[in-house]
Amino acid sequence: MSLGQRPGLALFDALAVVGAASATAFALRRRPAARAGRGQARDATVTAARRLNRAAALIATSTLLDSGVEHYRGNFHNKAMITPLVVSALTLAVSAHGLRDKRKFAHRVRDPVYAAAAVTGLVGTGFHIYNIGKRPGGFCWQNLFYGSPLGAPAAVALAGLLGYYSERLRGSKGGTAPRVFGLPAGRALAALTAAGLVATSAEAGLLHFRGAYHDPFMFVPVTVPPIAAALLSETAATHPRKPRRLTRWWLRLTALVGFLGAGFHVFGVGRGMGGWRNWSQNILNGPPIPAPPSFTGLALAGLAALGLIEEHPRA
Amino acid sequence: MPERYPGYDVMSKRDTPSWNDATRRVIDARLAIVDAPTFLNEQEWLTLRAICDGIVPQREAKVPIAAMVDRKLEEDYRDGYRDARLPPLREAWRRGLAAVDAAARARQGVAFHQLTASARDALLKDMQEGKLDGAEWDGMPSALFFRERVAHDILAAYYAHPAAWNEMGFGGPAAPRGYVRMYFNRRDPWEAAEAPAGSVDETTA
Repeated sequence: MSLGQRPGLALFDALAVVGAASATAFALRRRPAARAGRGQARDATVTAARRLNRAAALIATSTLLDSGVEHYRGNFHNKAMITPLVVSALTLAVSAHGLRDKRKFAHRVRDPVYAAAAVTGLVGTGFHIYNIGKRPGGFCWQNLFYGSPLGAPAAVALAGLLGYYSERLRGSKGGTAPRVFGLPAGRALAALTAAGLVATSAEAGLLHFRGAYHDPFMFVPVTVPPIAAALLSETAATHPRKPRRLTRWWLRLTALVGFLGAGFHVFGVGRGMGGWRNWSQNILNGPPIPAPPSFTGLALAGLAALGLIEEHPRA
Repeated sequence: MPERYPGYDVMSKRDTPSWNDATRRVIDARLAIVDAPTFLNEQEWLTLRAICDGIVPQREAKVPIAAMVDRKLEEDYRDGYRDARLPPLREAWRRGLAAVDAAARARQGVAFHQLTASARDALLKDMQEGKLDGAEWDGMPSALFFRERVAHDILAAYYAHPAAWNEMGFGGPAAPRGYVRMYFNRRDPWEAAEAPAGSVDETTA
């Protein structure tokens, strides 16, 4: 019986919920108007960059806890399974640093850490695809349901990419339009966020289908985020002169959904046989508590993109 | 004899998160069964014990199989289904035990429990093949009695005992904690660990 590592998990989950809650509250509290005033006009790109640091931090928290629980369950069978824990923790650390940093240039540690996280996430996705493929039956529903989840390492990549974008925003020269990979930064960021929302929603759809949508609220993460992605894409494509209030509020709703999802999953774990007293079984076999806040992180990134589009005329 | 699951004792799970009060209650009651009859009479008991020795020979008497079958009869704990050619649980066992004993007396002139091991097994084999017949059976097919009562109840009793679980590495009731590492060649820390391949002689283990 090696139960030594277990009490820490409950603490992690508690922290995840508290972290998601405070991040959401913080996100919802900040008014867009704050950016223009207070004498010295803060540059819109730095504001957007810091919002992205916050989004990356939240997604990294989610992937840190989720990969910790799931890879512990997998006994760290492959030594590489420790990687997402290290990378997510580093992403979280540099994001916290970035959130406090108001300077206008890419940081020489943050920047490579974010890039490494993006690469690691992509490599991890490859690993998970390989894992599913080598199982008996290959790419069948059974293995997609119960094999390594494809969306989980992709979330590590998303956190890294959002951070990488934030460094590009900071690094953009004054007076010129910020660009990422040659694209106007606002639109590039909106496209990345929309893609992330749709992919995460697809993952939730697959796993909630496995769970037979036994609770009507299980439909929420497959309906609200894709609509947010559509609204954000539309805003990015049309570049409206007036702020799109519906897009902004729908992204806020998505952020709330991610936070509430963790609460629903806490409830779901409690519904397993033995309830929370049997947590060592039910946390591992029940719904993943740290997973839903990824939606909150992506929604925050979407809000950053929206802010950038609205505040920076050429983004 | 080397064990297939060296050092494994399912009862070490008793006071862990794997078992709850309901599970503990059931297993404690099972382990408290005394190896003496509470339902069958003396002759029936001796016959049942001899049958159990023939069906599940035990080097050491770890599992009180006959007593577990006797308690099942005492509680009249039925399966919930039955072949219509068999009478209900208690009547089937009473009639079958008397008929087997009568068959031994007719063949060898001694009670069933006094037969040599080989004579006992030969008679059980005849019962399995439906070759026993007579007024004592009262129309109950001996092969059906063997399959539905003798083999069924005796094997169920044996494999309901933690000592049998230790032999085969079974984890006992998964209530409330089950298993979370459900893939080939993965093992939860609270599962039995199998001896390395080749370390156990397949012919004796």
